[in-house]
Amino acid sequence: MGKKRRGPSLEEVLGRPWCYYCERDFDDLKILISHQKAKHFKCERCGRRLNTAGGLSVHMSQVHKEQLSAVDNALPNRSSLDVEIFGMEGVPEDVIQTHNQRVLTQFQQAEAERQAVTGNPPSGTTGTGGQPAKKPKLEHVSDLKKRLAEHKAKKAEALAGGSSGDATPTGAGQTGFVQPPASAPAPNQQFSYPQPYGSAGSPYQQTASPVYQNFSPGGQPHFPSNAQYTPTGYSPQSFQGTPGQPAPAFGTTPPPFPPSQQQPSQQQQQPVPQMHTPPQAAGFIQRPPSLPAAPSLPQRPIIGAPLVNAYQMQQMHMGHQVPSPAGAAPGGVSNGEKPTTTSATPFSSSVDDLISGAAKAADQAAAPQPTEASEEKATKKDKSKARLVYSDNEISPEEKMARLSRYAFVPDRCGETVLEEVLPAVSGTVRESDTVIDAAD
Amino acid sequence: MASNQVTVASPPTDAISALKFSPDPDSTRFVVSSWDKHVYLYDLRDENGNIGEGKLLQKFEHRAPVLDVCFGANEDEIYTAGLDWDVRKIDISTSAQTVLSSHDAGVRSVVYSKEHSLVISASWDSTLHVHRTDGSDPSPAIIPLPSKPFSMSLTPTKLVVAMASRALHIYDLKAVALLTAQSDGNNPNKVEVEPWQRRESSLKFMTRSVACMPNDAGYASSSIEGRVAVEWFDPSPESQARKYAFKCHRQTSDDVDVVYPVNSLSFNPIHGTFASGGGDGVVALWDGIAKRRIRQYQKYPSSVAAVDFSGNGKYLAIAISPGFEDGKDDVLEGTVKIFVRELGETEAKGKGAK
Repeated sequence: MGKKRRGPSLEEVLGRPWCYYCERDFDDLKILISHQKAKHFKCERCGRRLNTAGGLSVHMSQVHKEQLSAVDNALPNRSSLDVEIFGMEGVPEDVIQTHNQRVLTQFQQAEAERQAVTGNPPSGTTGTGGQPAKKPKLEHVSDLKKRLAEHKAKKAEALAGGSSGDATPTGAGQTGFVQPPASAPAPNQQFSYPQPYGSAGSPYQQTASPVYQNFSPGGQPHFPSNAQYTPTGYSPQSFQGTPGQPAPAFGTTPPPFPPSQQQPSQQQQQPVPQMHTPPQAAGFIQRPPSLPAAPSLPQRPIIGAPLVNAYQMQQMHMGHQVPSPAGAAPGGVSNGEKPTTTSATPFSSSVDDLISGAAKAADQAAAPQPTEASEEKATKKDKSKARLVYSDNEISPEEKMARLSRYAFVPDRCGETVLEEVLPAVSGTVRESDTVIDAAD
Repeated sequence: MASNQVTVASPPTDAISALKFSPDPDSTRFVVSSWDKHVYLYDLRDENGNIGEGKLLQKFEHRAPVLDVCFGANEDEIYTAGLDWDVRKIDISTSAQTVLSSHDAGVRSVVYSKEHSLVISASWDSTLHVHRTDGSDPSPAIIPLPSKPFSMSLTPTKLVVAMASRALHIYDLKAVALLTAQSDGNNPNKVEVEPWQRRESSLKFMTRSVACMPNDAGYASSSIEGRVAVEWFDPSPESQARKYAFKCHRQTSDDVDVVYPVNSLSFNPIHGTFASGGGDGVVALWDGIAKRRIRQYQKYPSSVAAVDFSGNGKYLAIAISPGFEDGKDDVLEGTVKIFVRELGETEAKGKGAK
């Protein structure tokens, strides 16, 4: 959820208005001012909101005959009445500087953490979709020969094995990512790839390596049967998802779903290597057709086995969570992830679209709760528009509480008083409890 | 500014069922009954007699959760009622507990009438027990009720009992005292006391709390449906025409009015205004005569279980505890609190009709 783009830039963060009294920052000045009126300049006697602490002080002394000693809800060292604050006006210079300093360090910290987590370069460097593609290339170059060699070797193996590995090149987009020549090296490189996606959401970046693993197992069952289909369904997605990466990506990926034999055995690593070489040529060709199809993919449940696979593949690549379920049922996994990944990636061609897509997905995901809640309310309110917090008209809250096991009390009749014995207790009690229970039910 | 409100140290560990100040104007003691099976006695004064944070003087353990508590003839005598079906008298100076009587179900409320030296308890067994404290006869008189009582309040002359099924009885305390005095000897001591008035609640939902005006003219009642009614004892049509009810303790969100129960009412003994505490965590002061809200305090973090003014009207104690109204929430540590507000001279004074 809530994956926006990169988060605000430093300038944006520094530019946010903030409250002198509590150091909270706000989207704009109006909100800050209404915050101050509500939290710091509100008369607790009559609820009137004044504009400044001085105003409140005068109000208190004139209207309520009381002396205001400190600003409400303020940080300990900021509660003084001497500083006249209104919005951002009147904030002492030194306080501003400390605040900025603090924001700055926080920002840097956050940045560093993000980098550590995602493996992405600092926000500044990650431009729009175009850039990421290049990086992959660079890395490729370095490892290219290695990969080629490996690739060929594997190809040869595959061929020898009689697997359809060659044909599979379709996985282009993925291969781009996958490209890590050797299985082990993959993780590192993958990080760099994610960038294009990165704009859409962080999930990609992290998932990169895990994806593969999942991917192969999930894909296997489907792929073997219809190797041909996969390419089409597949490529489109990858294509769209990674606008910047076009050529390289496609070429590489297609191959991944070679013969059934390989996949099962090699699951995680093997598919990747294969993909590298064949991909590029094949990938290109296939793209155009596949593109149109892609958008529809997410929505169609499972028209053909191939589609599903492609879909899953994408998800795996993009979604964090997919990795964990790995070996389990591919379909289930993919479904779970769908909302965010699919909607965001396949459709959007530009980074902006990606962003908005992600935002929408986030919204959608967020939506369910409110609606559910409102439904509840709707059902409860029935008679009027009102919803009673406590709606049992027969049994008081205390009686309900009294029935909880932790409050249970069984009176022992041989208690401390003589009076107890005398009372005509039992029959009355039984009746009472019966009625109560009925009412409750 | 928050300086005029103190948070009382060492609050109960579970939900609060009742909070009562000593009616004695010179006393700053108050008692709190809790579902943690204890009754707590606090005093706002410290050893030197200065009004401070409020400290715990004593606590008294019971066998079961305590549902109500009230002061007796003086600030060293309290009466408690609880889920162990007992009505107890506790002598604070000696910590001695005496069981006055036992009901056949949990005892919801207990009140003390100074004028008539009566302790009256109301139980879910649909009876009132009237105990005379003049030492003449220890056994209580039992007055049957048509329904389960939910709340009780009294004035020097009247006793108001609010029950389930929206029933409400107003008893003349003098009659009650006389009848119970006559009918001793035979046990069980059942006494049919005809209420001075039988009324149907003006509120359509379950009555949550009832509180009498200090000037003995009428009472206010509240329901689970965010509403408070103000009525007068005087049965004349003119007086009855004055009764009214108003909505409160509600929050509108998404076009839906979320309605909280009004858990507690308390009249200010000096100004005749009253405070209401709701499940929304809000405490509001009302001028029942002028039909105006005087002020509303900032929301407390959980449901207000009880409010009460001190005997001199200068303090307002507010007990909050969560989950009280739905009967199932767990009570988290630190969410049960007692606040005492020191009221400004005119804070609880009515504004006068406009």
